Amino acid sequence: MLESLQHLATGFGVALSFQNFFYCLVGVVVGTLVGVLPGLGPIAGIALLIPATFGLNATSAIIMLAGIYYGAMYGGSTTSILLNVPGETASVITCIDGYQMAQKGRAGKALAICAVGSFIAGTLGIFGLVFLAPPLAEAALAFGPAEYFSLMVFGFVVLSNVTGGSFLKSLMMAVVGLIIGTIGLDPVTGDGRFAFDSPSLLAGIEFVAVAIGLFGIGEVLVNVAQPAQTLEQKVIVPRFRELYPTLYDLKESIFAILRGAGIGFGVGLVPGPAPVIATYASYMVERKVSRHPEEFGKGAIKGVAGPESANNAACQSAFIPLFAIGIPFAPPTAILLGALLIHGVTPGPMMISEHPELFWGVIASMYIGNFILLLLNLPFVPVFANILRIPKKILLPLVTLFCLTGMYTVNNSTFDIWMMILFGALGFLLRRWAYEGAPLLLALVLGPKLEVAFRQSLMISHGNFEVFITRPISLAFLTATLLFLLVPLLQAFRKRLRSATATA
Amino acid sequence: MKRRDLIGGGVVFLFGAVTAVLSAQMPIGTFRAAGSGLFPLCLGILLMALSGAYMVQVFWSEKRPNEDGTSAAKEEGLSLPVIAFLTIMAVATLFLHTLGYAVVSFLLMAGLLRVLGLKRWPLNVALSLVTAAASHTLFVYVLKIPLPRGFLGI
Repeated sequence: MLESLQHLATGFGVALSFQNFFYCLVGVVVGTLVGVLPGLGPIAGIALLIPATFGLNATSAIIMLAGIYYGAMYGGSTTSILLNVPGETASVITCIDGYQMAQKGRAGKALAICAVGSFIAGTLGIFGLVFLAPPLAEAALAFGPAEYFSLMVFGFVVLSNVTGGSFLKSLMMAVVGLIIGTIGLDPVTGDGRFAFDSPSLLAGIEFVAVAIGLFGIGEVLVNVAQPAQTLEQKVIVPRFRELYPTLYDLKESIFAILRGAGIGFGVGLVPGPAPVIATYASYMVERKVSRHPEEFGKGAIKGVAGPESANNAACQSAFIPLFAIGIPFAPPTAILLGALLIHGVTPGPMMISEHPELFWGVIASMYIGNFILLLLNLPFVPVFANILRIPKKILLPLVTLFCLTGMYTVNNSTFDIWMMILFGALGFLLRRWAYEGAPLLLALVLGPKLEVAFRQSLMISHGNFEVFITRPISLAFLTATLLFLLVPLLQAFRKRLRSATATA
Repeated sequence: MKRRDLIGGGVVFLFGAVTAVLSAQMPIGTFRAAGSGLFPLCLGILLMALSGAYMVQVFWSEKRPNEDGTSAAKEEGLSLPVIAFLTIMAVATLFLHTLGYAVVSFLLMAGLLRVLGLKRWPLNVALSLVTAAASHTLFVYVLKIPLPRGFLGI
């Protein structure tokens, strides 16, 4: 424990250097903007900014990109409260009571409690990260290819199960992502696959193009398809003097914040869109433990404080599997994995010892970033609210131009732009047809790792599949996977049986 | 809705089938020494199985599958503004190297603004000019990212 604190102190030294502090500031401000603007989520935001980090060292780059991720969690609440439109999916729940508070003239209080709750939860999440990641990384040294394969399969199944919507559809999307990930050179033999003699395809599909396409252009197209009158909305702008919580508000919310932080931290450790699930779980818990559950939905401050704290804590703890095991459990951390690989850093058990300045520097920067967000966000809420006044008919072309330019700068290639447009159209159709894009993106990023782990396991075992069930850790993951597959099936069967009995 | 879900499942099934067929033409090897086609072949078959199961589920279900809380879409395919938006992006990409970034970004903005309902040309042109100039300055002069200059050399 003392050793971790010493490393953390070193991390603060790294994060507080002028360059890293500057990129942390840029990251959290851009992240807040990404969260504020409907039509641009953290996934597209991080993917878009990756090319801008090419000239930076790995530590500064990840500090900035991580800042976008957790900064977006802060920003997302602004639109939910002021506009009743979530800036990103983790802020959907905040709309319920946040907008009601704004309607009653308490928008400033809602925003303030969001910022304070996010800060407290973010801080607690960082402490969890400090003390949990190193032992987990040590434990992960026992992982071989079979364990990694089973863990990734478990991740895909859980993500597909909890993403929302049809489980089968999400699983199908994960397999589609894995197939797209096989385009290009075989990671073991070096043979070309599905390249059709095209040198661009031989290099594989750029994951940034898929991320920006599905989550940037796709989201823009969804907005374009909306009727013209819904493109403009009325924004409630709070006055500056309203932007601080009273002692009573803090007293009312503190336990909701702490519960939210606990729930968020736990949820962030398991595969899935952690911040989204954490907000729903926190809201349910708050309503259940409240002495006045009837107030929820009518502007209860706990209904804002709990979920907003939960999504920030989940966001911080989602870094634990990424840094310690090298396996991201959610699309934003999958993009960060891609960014780490681009900068020549392989996350996993050895990362903490091989790149201590990066690991501890990024953790310390998160604390600094949370503090910057607390200081900056409240005074700048009126500014962000005014940004929301920019009509969407101007905002959407701007986002599109930025996506197109950002995409070109990754490899200076128009092929990547074509891929982005293609995946943009696909993202739009997926949204329309109620398919989830998140499993596809995660599978695309993890696909090559999964294939290598699968083939290495079978090579080691001389083609014997028992390798996946004779190793205890692998068996544990596969058993958990099986449970996740069987439970929904059994529930559906029981439901059918009940309805059949009722009609009979 | 049921018809749409069946078509969606069918498209995914077809994708799985094409993957499996193309993979089967690659070296498959054995499980001990897998060839480059084995993994995608397994994925293609798995996708066919999953989409097949989904289509069966949709076919036999009484209620519409999207009533389970997913965001059901009211409209089905690509609407006219979406097609126009995509076409403008595609044309811009096509002429990026020929016309250069500065000109293409201006034309892209003007086209997209028009599609989204900014009908007054003077305002449209002014906004597009300002945006193109600002993004050109940001990327080329501030971030020092080389962007296509086109035949005009800008």
